Amino acid sequence: MSTTHDHDHAPIEAAGEISEFDVLETAIRGLAIEKGLFSPEDHRRFMEWAQRIGPHGGSRLVARAWLDPGFKQRLLADGTETSKEIGIDWLDPTGTGTPSDFTYFYVLENTPKVHNLIVCTLCSCYPRPVLGQAPEWYKTPHYRRRAVRWPREVLAEFGLHLAADVEVRVHDSNQKSRFMVMPMRPEGTEGWTEDQLAAIVTRDTMIGVALPRADWTADRSPVATSR
Amino acid sequence: MRRFAIGDRVTVRDATTLFHHRTQSYTRGRTGVVVDHRPEWLIPEDEAWQREDGRVEPFYVVRFNQIDLWPDYTGLELDTLESEFAEGWLVPAEGGRR
Amino acid sequence: MHSPSGLDTLQRRVLGLAPQPADRLDSPYWISNESYQALRHVLHDVGGQPDASVPYLDKDEADWELRTYVLCEVLAWRGVWNSEVRRRAENDLGATLYFGLPYYGRWITAAAKTLVDKGLISVSELAARIDAVRARREAGS
Repeated sequence: MSTTHDHDHAPIEAAGEISEFDVLETAIRGLAIEKGLFSPEDHRRFMEWAQRIGPHGGSRLVARAWLDPGFKQRLLADGTETSKEIGIDWLDPTGTGTPSDFTYFYVLENTPKVHNLIVCTLCSCYPRPVLGQAPEWYKTPHYRRRAVRWPREVLAEFGLHLAADVEVRVHDSNQKSRFMVMPMRPEGTEGWTEDQLAAIVTRDTMIGVALPRADWTADRSPVATSR
Repeated sequence: MRRFAIGDRVTVRDATTLFHHRTQSYTRGRTGVVVDHRPEWLIPEDEAWQREDGRVEPFYVVRFNQIDLWPDYTGLELDTLESEFAEGWLVPAEGGRR
Repeated sequence: MHSPSGLDTLQRRVLGLAPQPADRLDSPYWISNESYQALRHVLHDVGGQPDASVPYLDKDEADWELRTYVLCEVLAWRGVWNSEVRRRAENDLGATLYFGLPYYGRWITAAAKTLVDKGLISVSELAARIDAVRARREAGS
């Protein structure tokens, strides 16, 4: 997958314009607080949580599972509970879980015979507490249309080609469960620490569109540019 | 008491839907195998209208062969797809349990 | 002739020159059950629809997008709506807005519509507040 920017893409936002969406958000938030629909403290608390989440949570889960068979077993048996061992509580920040992510978290183990790929064809369900926000392409109708029906083509477009004896298992996340892939530990990482291993478990390897490599620590999608 | 056990072959009903649902049209009328149980929760058809008194049903993970889902699947025969269904959306497959 | 990427650009422009259908929808007198079924299809149910390959681009999150996400979640936290209501509200916007708006544009529009539909905010006070916020922003920049 090329890492250069695609300059033929339409501009995302005209530079220098005050976004009408921005104005709308501010208008609604102000009115909602004035009418007591929620408090500024509620907003602050959720915003703090939203700014803390990211793929580092999932990377840590995978790296620890690679090093600790007992942890791996617990993680596969109960993802929600075992996340607590690395400080992620799926009940945060509301005490009952987030409205969009719920509390039913499952980790899907890749094996030499099975490669897992995650999509939410109906919207964009994603395990935010352990991975942060989904990449933009994951949320597009384009990915949602194609990942379930042409998964090997989609993987090939990400530069991933799997052998003919590997089952591609697509998980269409259509209800309250949330999923993350546990990729297999790659060659060339013998003797590595948990931190070193976590650095190569990128977001894309936990969605299933990439495999971790000892020599690569970044997701590879180019970023859409605005004019 | 759950209606379906892990290993049961089930077919997704082809019921009429309108306005909102979370049962993908590409699964309707398709047969797969129950591979896991999920907890019970409010069905999305009721949750979408905040009907707190709506139906709570057990949910199931059903695994399909991709060649059974698509008329012209371009991947390999061993490929599969899993998704989740409320009990009310499933019926025993013709030919009964595996 | 064309370089590989130049040809790709040309091909995409050609694909975009779709002819206008002769039978554009404009409140027909009668439609078949098959047409009605297509119209009744719930918008978000896109899995398996044919689609051409496009590059999988990532995007930096704008500040208003993060705020939109938090606003929608906090409204659900405090029971104003829930995420399934939000998803239905996004479908209820109809195809033009569903596919015309960017992802968080759908979220914020669905939130606005739901608050108005529930009678929590009147549409005129929302519109007035939008004008006031915009004027403040423009004055400030």
